[in-house]
Amino acid sequence: MTLKTLNLNAFKPVWLMGLIPPVLFLLWWDHEAVKGGANALAFVSLAQVGQALIDMFATGELGLSYGSSLGRALSGLLIGGGIGTLVGIAMGLSKPIEWAASPIYNSFRQVPILGWLPLIGLWFGSGDLSKLIIVALSAFYPTVLYTFEGLKQVEARLLDVARVYRLSGWQTFWRIQWPAALPSIFTGLFQALAFTWISTIGVELLFSSGAGLGAMMQQAQLQARLDIVLVCILFVGLTGFAINFLIKRLSQHVLSWRSIRA
Amino acid sequence: MDYVPHSQIPGHKIKQTGAVSLKGIKKQFNFKDRELKVLSEFSLDVQPGEFVSIVGPSGCGKSTLLRLIAGLDDTYDGTIALDGQRVAGTSLERGLVFQDHRLFPWMTLEDNIALALTNRQISKDAKAKLVADHIALVGLKGFEKAFPHQLSGGMAQRAAIARSLVNEPKVLLLDEPFGALDALTRVHLQGELQRIWLAQGSTMIMITHDVEEALYLGDRVVVMQANPGRITHTVDVNLPHPRDRASPVLHKLKDEILAELTNVPEPSNPIVRLIKGDDQ
Amino acid sequence: MKPDLKLILSVGSPLLLLIVWQAVTAFKLFPPEVLVSPTAVIAAFGEVITTGELQRHLSESLTRLAGGFTTGASLGLLFGLALALSKTVERVFGPTFQALRQVPVLAFIPMLILLLGIDEVFKIVIIAKAAFFPVALAAYDSVKGVPKSYFEVSSLYRAPWWVLISKILIPATIPNILAGVRLSLTRSWLVLVAAELIVADSGLGQMMEMGRQMFRLDIVMVGVIVAGVIGFALDRLFQLLQAHALRWKTA
Repeated sequence: MTLKTLNLNAFKPVWLMGLIPPVLFLLWWDHEAVKGGANALAFVSLAQVGQALIDMFATGELGLSYGSSLGRALSGLLIGGGIGTLVGIAMGLSKPIEWAASPIYNSFRQVPILGWLPLIGLWFGSGDLSKLIIVALSAFYPTVLYTFEGLKQVEARLLDVARVYRLSGWQTFWRIQWPAALPSIFTGLFQALAFTWISTIGVELLFSSGAGLGAMMQQAQLQARLDIVLVCILFVGLTGFAINFLIKRLSQHVLSWRSIRA
Repeated sequence: MDYVPHSQIPGHKIKQTGAVSLKGIKKQFNFKDRELKVLSEFSLDVQPGEFVSIVGPSGCGKSTLLRLIAGLDDTYDGTIALDGQRVAGTSLERGLVFQDHRLFPWMTLEDNIALALTNRQISKDAKAKLVADHIALVGLKGFEKAFPHQLSGGMAQRAAIARSLVNEPKVLLLDEPFGALDALTRVHLQGELQRIWLAQGSTMIMITHDVEEALYLGDRVVVMQANPGRITHTVDVNLPHPRDRASPVLHKLKDEILAELTNVPEPSNPIVRLIKGDDQ
Repeated sequence: MKPDLKLILSVGSPLLLLIVWQAVTAFKLFPPEVLVSPTAVIAAFGEVITTGELQRHLSESLTRLAGGFTTGASLGLLFGLALALSKTVERVFGPTFQALRQVPVLAFIPMLILLLGIDEVFKIVIIAKAAFFPVALAAYDSVKGVPKSYFEVSSLYRAPWWVLISKILIPATIPNILAGVRLSLTRSWLVLVAAELIVADSGLGQMMEMGRQMFRLDIVMVGVIVAGVIGFALDRLFQLLQAHALRWKTA
């Protein structure tokens, strides 16, 4: 909705009004930086940030960190989302499994995702494996929930049709329940994608050994290199933006027949 | 137009199979520790190839009855038999058309109809031919690749009828098939159903609350009352098919049935009665 | 009466998990640095309570949460309303708001540490930021989403503006705004625990991080459980408030 508004206004001068706050902010920032004084350590000039960006590009440091963060997020999505979908299917199709699994699922889900990190760190060290587990877990929760809900919400009237035509359990699942639940499953995966990006940055900040944007930021912070930190924030933000944009586009596409119920 | 008895129409196949026999059907729901009698001692014999309409007020158990015949619900007393064979569970011999079309939005019209043939042990080509024939039968040629949301309500219901007929069931059960359509489409599809029935010749049992529709289509009209659901009487409609809506005989019968159905002391709704607590 | 399978399974499965856990530790299948028994966790729980450690950390965390969440949520509400009601505000601040919203809150932690240090201000600001966006977005969306017909009805009956606000705008938007506030409460708790883990000087997160560094698995597990219980309790509490505020909806 809002993205659309932005696009529509792209060629109208009113759009320029949106530039006022960031431009004023940057001018003030640059002024503080150039002025020096008490906060000189903190404020870096825009020229410095630009130089940092160029340097990080040139050394390949940025590409490496960005690539490993993105790789972590996507493999977490694949693993957590895959397992989550299977668990969601099992819970959605079998009442006994639902009854047995949901209290465990619901109690584990209460723990803030990064709160698991000290425990996982003790078990698996503070390397890539621990990070991947947390990122996968952040994809696991929403996919389980949305797969399960999607299957639960398949209406009894549609299942009656399957019974009238004597479809087997597998046929009913594959031809009716799965496609009926698909919009909800995709919603879960989209949410998982957004979550994995956030948790990737989080785990990299906490376990800052190894590659990754979060780790790079954390190292830069320890060396008081605000320029590098800002470049990282820029890339984290742009990726977040791209993910949200992608989700919006894909949902419109995938959910196109959602409003048209049987 | 001259009336021709349907047995003499060349296209109408008189079938030897498709006799439905209902004997002493009793059905009740347990509702908050109270028993709610939905059907009581319901008995009815339907001849092969016969069109029977069942009318009655809402809550008289007519939809429940159809679910029992279809095999979607097995908890009842009494016997339901098709050609002398007691029914158990659903079967491709008994087709069912719901009030809402219940086509699957992610399948094309063709795929929706082919779904009904999933477990028929016939060749792929034979299946394709059956699907094409039945699409033609309901007059939807050219819409094979359309998705349900691209069809009008009337077209979707025709597709649902095609899906239920594609297995060539011995008996077709219709649960208020035109109840969700606008008045003009309904009249049109009633004519279409009559044409299909004449061409196809299977036994049909249709539930409706539209007395005119029941009389226009049925060889016999069964009138039901609620609390508990039972037959109050049966009306034979001795008019040949296809019929003329303006027939004075139909009008007279309609007035009689309507008079009976509307002359019911309130409350007629069993749930309301139950809550008021005046159920014996 | 036949046994209730649902009850058996839903109580039985967590119980079974506990029994297996206890059994595995009883047979010493794993060294104690890797897995401690449930009873050891309970003992550690008793320990941190008697020393007052848990209460101290928890009260610090909750005070921070209260400060950051209240600031962030109320600023978010005001900003969201202004954004929805004024075209100028929307034009000037809308794009910046939409852009900043895309950056995960956690990514701001290193920058805020450099700018604000690791003191209390930093933690309040980061929680406030986490709380700000969901509320602002919910307020903006729900005011924008009030059906036009509602305004038409009110103008049809010549309702004065205060009636419009009190009888139409507030009831129509409050459910979504409250949902946004609830989401922001959950987010704040998540970000708080993360921030305390990163900048470990006090609070529940620090208790866990210290436990990890000293290989005290039992204390880490106590932290995990307490973090979960507090998150759950906060959400439940808010849900009750929400239900109370919206009781007209179902009535």
